[in-house]
Amino acid sequence: MSRKLGLIALLLALALIAAACGDDDATTTSAAPTTTAAPTTTAAGQSTTTAAALTGSIDISGSSTVEPISAGVAEMFNAMYPGVAIKVEGPGTGDGAQLFCSGQIDIGDASRAYKDSEKELCAENGIEFIELVVAIDGLSVLTSTQNDAFACLATSDLYAVLGPESIGFGSWADANALAAEIGAPNAPYPDADLVITAPGEESGTFDTFVEFLIDGVAGGEDYAETRGAESVRPDYVASPNDNVIIEGVAGSQYSLGWVGYAFYLANQDRVKALAIDAGEGCVAPSAETIANGSYPFSRPLYIYVNKASAARPEVAAYVDLYLSEQGLSVIDQTGYVRLADYAPTLEAWQNR
Amino acid sequence: MTTEAPTIDLTGSRPRLRRERRVRRLFLGAAVTSILISLLIVGSLAGEAWSFISKVDLSSLWDLGWFPRRDMFDIKTVVTGTLLISLIAMVVATPLGLGAAIYLSEYARPRARRWLKPILEVLAGVPSVVLGYFALTWISPNIVMRLNPHAGVFSMAAAGIGVGILVTPLVASVSEDAMRAVPHALREASYGLGAKKATTVTRVVFPAAASGIMASLILGLSRAIGETMVVAMAAGAVGGSLFELNVFEPGQTMTAAMTALAIGSDQVAGSNNAFQSLFFVGLLLFLMTLTLNLISDRFVRKVREKY
Amino acid sequence: MATRAAAPSTTDLVRQSIQGRRLGFGDIAFPAALLLALLLALLFLATLLIDVFVRAWDAFAGRGFSVVTSPLSLNAGTAGLWQSIMGSLALTAVVAALAFPIGVGAAIYLEEYAPDNRFTRFISTNIRNLAGVPSIVYGILGLTIFVRFVRAVGAGGGVYGKNLLAGGLTLAALVLPIVIITTAEALRAVPSAIREAGFGVGATRWEVIRYHVIPYAAPGILTGTVLTLARAFGETAPLLLVGAATGFFSMGSAGFIDRAVGPYTALPVTIFSWARQPGADFRSLTAAAIVVLLVLLLTANAAAIILRNRYERKW
Repeated sequence: MSRKLGLIALLLALALIAAACGDDDATTTSAAPTTTAAPTTTAAGQSTTTAAALTGSIDISGSSTVEPISAGVAEMFNAMYPGVAIKVEGPGTGDGAQLFCSGQIDIGDASRAYKDSEKELCAENGIEFIELVVAIDGLSVLTSTQNDAFACLATSDLYAVLGPESIGFGSWADANALAAEIGAPNAPYPDADLVITAPGEESGTFDTFVEFLIDGVAGGEDYAETRGAESVRPDYVASPNDNVIIEGVAGSQYSLGWVGYAFYLANQDRVKALAIDAGEGCVAPSAETIANGSYPFSRPLYIYVNKASAARPEVAAYVDLYLSEQGLSVIDQTGYVRLADYAPTLEAWQNR
Repeated sequence: MTTEAPTIDLTGSRPRLRRERRVRRLFLGAAVTSILISLLIVGSLAGEAWSFISKVDLSSLWDLGWFPRRDMFDIKTVVTGTLLISLIAMVVATPLGLGAAIYLSEYARPRARRWLKPILEVLAGVPSVVLGYFALTWISPNIVMRLNPHAGVFSMAAAGIGVGILVTPLVASVSEDAMRAVPHALREASYGLGAKKATTVTRVVFPAAASGIMASLILGLSRAIGETMVVAMAAGAVGGSLFELNVFEPGQTMTAAMTALAIGSDQVAGSNNAFQSLFFVGLLLFLMTLTLNLISDRFVRKVREKY
Repeated sequence: MATRAAAPSTTDLVRQSIQGRRLGFGDIAFPAALLLALLLALLFLATLLIDVFVRAWDAFAGRGFSVVTSPLSLNAGTAGLWQSIMGSLALTAVVAALAFPIGVGAAIYLEEYAPDNRFTRFISTNIRNLAGVPSIVYGILGLTIFVRFVRAVGAGGGVYGKNLLAGGLTLAALVLPIVIITTAEALRAVPSAIREAGFGVGATRWEVIRYHVIPYAAPGILTGTVLTLARAFGETAPLLLVGAATGFFSMGSAGFIDRAVGPYTALPVTIFSWARQPGADFRSLTAAAIVVLLVLLLTANAAAIILRNRYERKW
C-alpha cells in the first residue's frame, strides 16, 4: 500500500519537477542557436548599456502575415535579452485590433492600416498608439501549377468569378455571362471546376483584397461604385491559415486563391502566382515590381505600438531592434520586401 | 452500495465515528463535484446562447451558409455537415467495429485475442489531432481523391473516414462486451439443435446482444458528432461554408465552426454576434450528444437487466 | 479453422461430429469477412504509424534531437518541441493533482457509501453523461468559467487567466468522469468477502476501505488513472479555447509562479499549429512532433500495463 502511494507520489513529483525546471532549460537553449547576435550590437537608438539585464514581457498579436516578421525579430531579441518574455500570435489583423484597442497587447501586427472603427475603439479605451510601416507585401493571386489556361487575369476577370454576383458559381463557365457584361478580357472561360480557397473575414489579407478588387484601390474599376458590391462572394473555403490555402489551391487544376507574397514564395513548387492587369497591362509579383509599386496588388505592412507600452524599456528595445538593420534582415528571410525609405517610419518612432 | 454493513452500535468510540462522518462527507463532496460540473457546463452554454438568440436576427439562422463574421448563422449548414460526416464515419466504423467485435468475441482463439485486443486499444488511444493529420495527408490523397478525382484536398469524405477510424475501436469494444455478456448456455443450446457456428452467431448471439450493439453504435455516433480535431483539420471549411450536400466538397461542422471562432489565445472580441454564436452552437451540440448518450444508456441498462 | 472455437469443449466435439462434413461457403466466408474487418482496422493503424514515421524521418535525420530540445519558433530550421512537451507534462501534473483525488473520492462514495436511492442513481447517470460530452464543450466551460475563476483569484498572470491553471482545470473536468468510472469498476471488482471480513472484526467503513478495499483495487485504479492521464495528454480541442499559444512565445527570466500563470502551450496544440504552417520542412516537423507524442503516450500505456501486471496477483 505505502509502496504504491509512494509510486504515485514519485510520479507526480517527477512530473512537477520536470514542469518546473523544464522551461528554464527552454530559455537557456533558446539563447543557444542564435547567440551570434552579440548583446552589445543594439539597434538604432538608446538602450545600449544594460542589455542583458532587461526583464518584463511583450505581448504581440494580429496579422498572420506580419507574424513571421514579429516572431523572427522576437527570437533575435530573445537571443540578446533572454530575460524578456515574449508572446507572438497571428489570429488576424481584425482580431488583433480588438485585442490591441482593449489594451490586452503591447504591439498589434496589421496587414492593413487600422480602420476608423478600430481607431475609435482605441480612443474609447484611452489607448494611444504609434503606427509604423515596416515592410511591403505583394498580395499574390494563386492558381495551381497545372493551370494551363491563364497566366494573367484582369481585375474584371477576378470580379466575374470572385465578386458578390458570382455566388454559387461552381464552374468557370458559370461566370461567362457576367464576364461578358463587364467586359472581362479572358472570357469565355473553360468549363472547369472553380475551387476557391482564400483568407476569411478575420484576416487583413481579406480586407486588403476586397479593397484592391472591389473598391478599385489597385487601379481597376470601383465595383462598389458601379455595381454596388460590398465584398467578395462568401462561398469559398475560408481559412485564416495560409497553409490551408496553399493546399486548397494546389489541390485543383483551375483553382483560385490569394495569400501574401511570402507564402507564395515559400510554396512556389506547389502553386503559381498569376500576373494581374489593373488597366496598365499584366504585371507579375516579384521583389522589384512590389518595391517599385508597378504590381497592382501590393500593400504596406504595419505594426501598432501602444504608447504606454512603448515607455517600457523592453518594448522600446524590441521596436528599436525591429527597425534596425539587423531586425530588417528578418524581412528578407521571410520573403517580404523592404521599404524603399525607412526614414518616415524611424521618425514616427523617434517622435513618440 | 453493494455490501450491507452490520449495524455497528458496538463501536462506541466517538472520535472514530466523527472521523467516519467527516470522511463520508468528504467523499460525498467529491461525488457532488460532478453535478457541479454539469451545472456549470449548462450554465456557461445557456447564458451566452440566450443572449445570442435574443440579439440576433432570427432569419439569419436560416441563410445561404455559415459565415458568422458576416452575420449569416445558417444552422442547417453546420448541422448537415456534422450529420454527413458522422454518417460517413458510421459507414466506416459499423462494419469494421462490429466485424472486429464478432471476430474477437466468437472466433478468435484466446492467444490471438490476447494480441489483437491490445492493438485495437492502441488504436483507441491515438489522439484525434494525429488522426486529423493522417486524414489530411494520407486518407485525402490516397482514398478520397481516388474515389472522386474532382475532390479537393479538404473534403467531408476525408474527415468522415478519419472520424470513422477514430470511432471504430469504441464500437468494437462496447459491442464485444455486449456479445461476451451473452450466456454460454444460449450458444450451446443452439449447437445442440444442430445449428452451425455462423448461424449461431448471426441468429442467436447477435440478437441476444442487440441492445448492447445498438448502444455501441449510438455511442459511436455521439462521439463522431462531437469529434473536433479531425474535422477542423481535414474538412476544410474553416471560417465558413455554403450549405453543402456533396461529401467530396469541403464542409462545415458544429465543432469545426466552434474551433474556428476561438482558436489560440485570441478570440473575436468585437461587438458583433460571431463570438456568441460559439455558445449557441455549443449548446446545440451538447443537447444532441446528451440525447444520444441517454438513449444509449437506456440500451445498456436493458442488457444489464437481461443477464 | 472456422469450426475451431475458443476451447475444445464437449459442445465443440458434438458439433463437429454433427456438422463436420457440412462446411458450407458461409462457414468460411463469414469469419473471413469478420477477420478482414479487424485486420482493416489494424491496417489503418499500421499505415498511420508508417506514414508518420516516414515523414518524420527527414526532420530527425536532418536535425537530430534538436527537434525535441529546441524552443518554439516560426522558423522550421530551429523550431523545437521543448516548451510544448514541458507544457503538456505540467498540464498533466495539474490534471492528476485535481482529477485523481476528486475522482477516486467520488468513486469511493458511489461504490462504498452511497445508498441505492434516486439521488445516487442521478449522480451515476450524470457521470456517465459527462463522460460523453464532446471535449470542445469542456473548452467552453474552461473559457467562461475556469479562465474567469483563475483571473478572479488573482492567478491570471499576463494572459488574463488563459494559462496552465485554467487549462489544467479544464482538462481535469474533462477526465474526471472517466477517472470515476474506471475507479468504480476497480472497486466493484473487490470481493464483498473482503469487506465483510473487515466489518466482522469491528472495523469502521472507512477503515475497511482504507486498509482492505483500496489496496486490493489499487492496481486497477492506478492503471485506469494512467490511461486517463494519457487521454488528457493527447487532448487538443479544449486547449485551443482556453488559450494554449499557437504562435511563438518565450518566458524570459520569469520565476516558477510567473511560468505557472503565464502563456503556455501543449504538444498536441503545437502539432495542430505546425500542421498549419507552410512549407515541406514544417510538414516533416509536424510528423516528428506526432512521433514524439505517440512515443510518450505508448510509454505511458506500457507503464500502466506493467503496473497492472506487476501488482495484479499480489492478493
